[in-house]
Amino acid sequence: MPGFLSATLLNAAIQMLIAALFASAFNVLAGQGGMLSFGHCAYYGIGAFATLHAMNAFSGQGLLPTPLLPVFGAIGGAVTGLAAGWFSTKRSGVYFSMITLALAELLHALAPHLKSVFGGEAGVPSMRMPAWGFTFGSAAEVYYLTLAWVVVSLALLYFFTRTPLGRLTLGLRENAHRLKFLGYNVHMARVMVFVISATFAGIAGGLLAMSNEAANYSLFEVRLSSEVVLNSYIGGVGVFFGPALGAAVMTFFGYAVSDLTRSWLLYQGIIFVAVMMFMPSGLSGIVAWWQGSKQSAATLLRYMLGWTAGTLVSAAGVVFTVELLQRLMADDYQFSLVAGRAWPAIQLFGRAWLPGAITTWLLPVALLAIGIALLKFTSARWQALNDTEAA
Amino acid sequence: MNKKQISLSVCALFAAGAVQAAPLKVALVETLSGPQASTGLLYRTAIKYELDRINAAGGWNGAPIAVAEYDNQGGTAGASDKVKAAIAEGAQIIIQGSSSAVAGQITEDVRKHNLRNPGKEVLYLNMGGEALELTGEKCHFYHFRFTTNAIMRIKTLVPAMKEAKALGTKVYAMNQNYSWGMDVDKAIKDNAAAGGYAVVESTLHDVNKIQDFAPYVAKIKASGADSVLTGNWSNDLLLLMKATRAAGLTADFGTVFLDQPGNIGNAGETALGHYVSHTYNVEANKESEKFGNDYKAKTGHYPAYVEPQTIFGMQMLAVALKGTKPAGDGINVTELAKNLEKAKITGPMGDVTMRAADHQVQLPMVVSKVDKGAKFKVDGTDMGFKVVKTFSAADAANPVQASCNMQRPS
Repeated sequence: MPGFLSATLLNAAIQMLIAALFASAFNVLAGQGGMLSFGHCAYYGIGAFATLHAMNAFSGQGLLPTPLLPVFGAIGGAVTGLAAGWFSTKRSGVYFSMITLALAELLHALAPHLKSVFGGEAGVPSMRMPAWGFTFGSAAEVYYLTLAWVVVSLALLYFFTRTPLGRLTLGLRENAHRLKFLGYNVHMARVMVFVISATFAGIAGGLLAMSNEAANYSLFEVRLSSEVVLNSYIGGVGVFFGPALGAAVMTFFGYAVSDLTRSWLLYQGIIFVAVMMFMPSGLSGIVAWWQGSKQSAATLLRYMLGWTAGTLVSAAGVVFTVELLQRLMADDYQFSLVAGRAWPAIQLFGRAWLPGAITTWLLPVALLAIGIALLKFTSARWQALNDTEAA
Repeated sequence: MNKKQISLSVCALFAAGAVQAAPLKVALVETLSGPQASTGLLYRTAIKYELDRINAAGGWNGAPIAVAEYDNQGGTAGASDKVKAAIAEGAQIIIQGSSSAVAGQITEDVRKHNLRNPGKEVLYLNMGGEALELTGEKCHFYHFRFTTNAIMRIKTLVPAMKEAKALGTKVYAMNQNYSWGMDVDKAIKDNAAAGGYAVVESTLHDVNKIQDFAPYVAKIKASGADSVLTGNWSNDLLLLMKATRAAGLTADFGTVFLDQPGNIGNAGETALGHYVSHTYNVEANKESEKFGNDYKAKTGHYPAYVEPQTIFGMQMLAVALKGTKPAGDGINVTELAKNLEKAKITGPMGDVTMRAADHQVQLPMVVSKVDKGAKFKVDGTDMGFKVVKTFSAADAANPVQASCNMQRPS
């Protein structure tokens, strides 16, 4: 793949892989075990720092060549996961979430003061040393390294869902009381699931450290923890590859859109809300819907196209409005206004739009109306089709 | 024209094209979205202002300098990605300002890129990362810092306040508990002898987490301090000042970031009589007024907070670019860096130079006081910054840190 991709896209691919692994690790706990962690960046961050310190200590020499260093991320994640998991899994539900959040915040508050461990504001730098005949100086080599680690990790995580403990994890989510009556030590089981999740989060952090060759305590910000929750739910926590899909898609979205518009965080939020409202099972729900439906592929494709068209048209309306408003509110535009004179045109999508003209605002409203009508129409048809089948 | 002539002229065209081929590309890797975006956008405004002027004057090598904006999304990981993207897309100069943490990441990324790609070096212009490590243990040849640091700020604040009889003999050091705050805290203690004061107490508090500073203000009151020196910025500064007025504390504040747009407007009368050490004050002299008015005509506001030093830094880049001849089909960044070390501008506040030993800019400083008598009001209030004392670059300078071990290209 690196042969076809520019260095920029290659780097995006590395970040997508890392985000996918992080989300999959998170999903072991949240999706499979029913324990919603709000502080998963703690294990991700610890994994990154553990790997960096190992990189500096071993210089990629001897028994621990550079490609194996993310192992330290795994160890770091596992050890912190064991300590944090022991406390937080004593409670379940909201209380569990609050404890994980508190522990992560504790680390976030503590990290700036432990300069020797977390490097203070400037962070801990390191450098990938050559090993096994690779220099690890180019993005392509880092990409293959990350790919190998992510593929192996995802395979292990998938294998885990097939083991007795993996099965037990689903039991923890569905009915922990029942497991207790069956004689299982529920607390121990939860701790084990927690440790596994933290270990793989640590590997993801280690890969980030390998890719960025530096880290600082901003890795412990709550933003990262919430991002992994959003990504996983957008992808769909019900399916094994759902969170990985969501993380990859959203990371790429951030990559592609953040340099195009200042409002990309708003779009990210809108996507999350829209997915949660209309596709509660996430993006991977589409696959499940396709496979679970009795309709012919051609029919399904037709409806799918209807919904996609409706979404795209209404999205165009929203984007148009947001971008227009953003440019209108911007300081340099406000500065260009002269009292008593008409507001000058705004350049958007290669054309000039007069903010005072009704037609300018009519266009996004029309787009939105058409888009919603398309969606409503398709949904109504789909409902009718299912009703006739049922009858 | 015969064939030979045509082919010759085509060759000449190609040769000319090769010399003109690569316009210099500058990447602005700044925080352009999220909670810290307001500061990032200020850097953007200042950089665009000066780049527009450079391009209007002919750019570099006959072609305008191209600017690409990259949103580092406020974090180090995002910044690292965007630096890689910028380099891959041909940027040879990276500019960034808000957040020392991001600066720490970028300077390392640039250092490693240059180690791995000799002959394809990239330059990092740090417009605002004030952490001492950046010109200390992390210093390297391709990093240039155009802003001040904790030592320079306190070193100027103390004598100015002393002269104005606002310092007193008992000083309270109030700072944020991370590298920047610790640097300021240390600088306050180091200047005690020169300022003729004793640090009655020093407090390091959590960054951007405290909603109520009343307990801290009670401590300041109990200590009997005459003045408070603080490196606090943004909300931490504002809430601290508001709490003092509520408690009836009359101690004067010596600050570093009071001139951030919006601060005076938010603090209101509380800000009156407080001091700030910064790199530019519009009412310092005729030149500074002229400079400020030109900036206002282009951007809608007077340069303040992080903008002045950013503009001066870009002016030094312009000087260095003028002295750098095109090599091959582009610019030799090492050559440019060497010229940047020698660059000297006469800014509105005085001469600005670059110190070759650690690439820390040497620039004049000014200490101002919030006053109703100021000529230029800020934030739509009836208050502004009145000049108390100006310092030449030599007076404001801090010594080169021993930890800086710079490897210079031969």
